[in-house]
Amino acid sequence: MRSRALGIVLALAIALTCSTAAFAQTKTSSSAPATPTPFDPHDLSGVWFDERPRPLTTNERYWIYKFNAEEPPMTAWGLAQYDATKSSFGTRAYPLAETNDPLYHTCTPPGLPRIYLHPFPMQVVQTSGEVIVLFEYDSIRHPIYTDGRAHDTTLGPLWMGDSIGHWEGDTLVADTVNFNDKTWLDRIGHPHSNALHLVERFRRKDHEHLDLDITIDDAKAYTKPWTTQIEFMLKPKWTLAEQFCEDEESFQKMDKDAAAPAK
Amino acid sequence: MKLNRIIETRKVSLGFALVFAMVLSFSPAASAQSKQTPEAPKVSTLDTSHDLSGVWFDDHPRLIKVQERYWAYTFTLEAPPMTPWAQAKFNAAKASFGPHAVPLVETTDPLYHTCAPIGFPIIYLYPLPMQIVQTPGEVIMLFEWDSLRRQIFTDGRAHDTTLGPLWMGDSIGHWEGDTLVTDTVNFNDKTWLDRMGHPHSDALHVVERIRRIDHDHLVDDITIEDPKAYTKPWTAHLPFVLKPKWTLAEQFCEDEQSFQTIDQDAAAPAK
Repeated sequence: MRSRALGIVLALAIALTCSTAAFAQTKTSSSAPATPTPFDPHDLSGVWFDERPRPLTTNERYWIYKFNAEEPPMTAWGLAQYDATKSSFGTRAYPLAETNDPLYHTCTPPGLPRIYLHPFPMQVVQTSGEVIVLFEYDSIRHPIYTDGRAHDTTLGPLWMGDSIGHWEGDTLVADTVNFNDKTWLDRIGHPHSNALHLVERFRRKDHEHLDLDITIDDAKAYTKPWTTQIEFMLKPKWTLAEQFCEDEESFQKMDKDAAAPAK
Repeated sequence: MKLNRIIETRKVSLGFALVFAMVLSFSPAASAQSKQTPEAPKVSTLDTSHDLSGVWFDDHPRLIKVQERYWAYTFTLEAPPMTPWAQAKFNAAKASFGPHAVPLVETTDPLYHTCAPIGFPIIYLYPLPMQIVQTPGEVIMLFEWDSLRRQIFTDGRAHDTTLGPLWMGDSIGHWEGDTLVTDTVNFNDKTWLDRMGHPHSDALHVVERIRRIDHDHLVDDITIEDPKAYTKPWTAHLPFVLKPKWTLAEQFCEDEQSFQTIDQDAAAPAK
C-alpha cells in the first residue's frame, strides 16, 4: 500500500517538476532549473516519515534503536542504568523473551524522545495556539503549546512531558520538561531521569523536508547536553493508520514486521 | 499569570471574530446596494460554520450517583432494540456501571485489567474532553482518554476495505450544509458499544450528524446500525459544550490501577 502510494508520489512529483519547468519557460525566457514547490516555513502540517533504511539486520543501523552512532556521554549513574538494560536491539541484543524493555509485556507509552525511533509516520497538525505531533505508533501525541504559556509545574510527571514552543525565525523551538523516569531514552536502553530536559528545533527546510534537531539535557544521566538530528520526508499521500498496542503479541508481531531483532 | 493571558487572548480573538463577522455581514450588503437594486439580505460570507475546532466536553450534567444518569454509561434512556444474540451478550456482560452494576473486581468490561483501546462510539461516554482539529482533508478528534485519535476523512475518499477490522473504525465525512455527516464502518467486535455492556458486532455502522449549533455548542446526532445486534437502527443525541480555556491533559491507560483511580475520580460505581 505504502510502496504503491510512494510510486504515485514519485510520478506526480516528476510530473509537477516538469510542468512547472515548462510553465516557467513560457512565461520567462530564463532556462533556470525548475523552482521548488513553494511552502510556508511556519506550516509544519502534513504526514512525515524518517526514511532512513530499516533493514532486517539492525546492528549496523544505529537509527533504528538509538539517536547517534557514537555513545552519549553517560554519568556513572547513567552507565549503571544502561548496563542493567536488556534491549532486544543493537549490538548486545537479547531475545524478546529476555528483554527488560519497559514497552514489552505491558502497553506503556514509549515516551519522548524514544517515540521518534519507532518506524512509523507522524502527522503534524497546527491550531492557532498549538502544534500537535500525532504519531501513528499507539495513537501517541505530542502537543506543543505556542500560545505563550509557561511550563505547568502542577502537571505530571508525564510520559510525553510538558512542551511549550515558540518560533525563532523559521524554526519552531520546543522546550519539554516534566518527564517521568519510566521510559528509556531510546530503544537500546540508554536511560533518562525525571530531570530530562529536551529542546527540539523543527525546521521545514523545503516543501518536502523537515529537520528536527534534538538537544538532550539530563544532568543525572549525562555529563553534558548532547544533540541529534533526524530528517523527515513529507508523505503527501499517506494518512496515519490505526495502530494500537494491544498486548505482548502485538509487540512481537510489530517488531518482526519492522525489524527482526539482531542475532 | 500566564493562564489569565491565555483567557484574555481567547476572549480578544473571539471578540475580534464577532466584530469581523458583523463588518462582513454589513459590507457586502452596502456594496451590493451601490451596484444593483437591493434584494434579499445577503448572508455573511464569513463561513465559520464548518469550523468545529476546539476543546469540547459532554454537556450532560454529571452527578456522583450514576444510576439515574444514563449518559454516564449508555446512549439513550430507553433500552436499544436488541436482537436475541445481543440480548444474550448483554445479559452475560457484567458492567461496573448502571442499574446492574457489579463491583470493579467482578466486571467483565473488556477495558478493565487490560489496556485495550476503548473503541468507538463508547469513547463518547467517558467523562473526559475531546479536541477537534481540522486540516483541509480531515476532521480529527483527539480524546483525552488514553490519547485516542479518530480521523474523519473529508477529502472525498471512500471507505478503505483493506483496513482493519479497527477499534475506532474507518470514518469518512462530508458536509451537508452546516452539518458534518460522518460514516464509520470496519469495526472489530472486541469492544462494548457502551459502558453498560450493550454489544456490537463487526457489522456496526455508525452515522453521525455533527453540527455546531452556536459558538459554544456542538451536537452529535448519532445513528447506530448493526443488524446482528439490533433489530433496527436507533439514534442518540450527544450535546457538547466548548471549553475555550481547556487543553487536553496526558492520560494513558497504564494498568488496572489507573482504571480504578479514574473511575473513582469520575463517578463512583453504583451500589
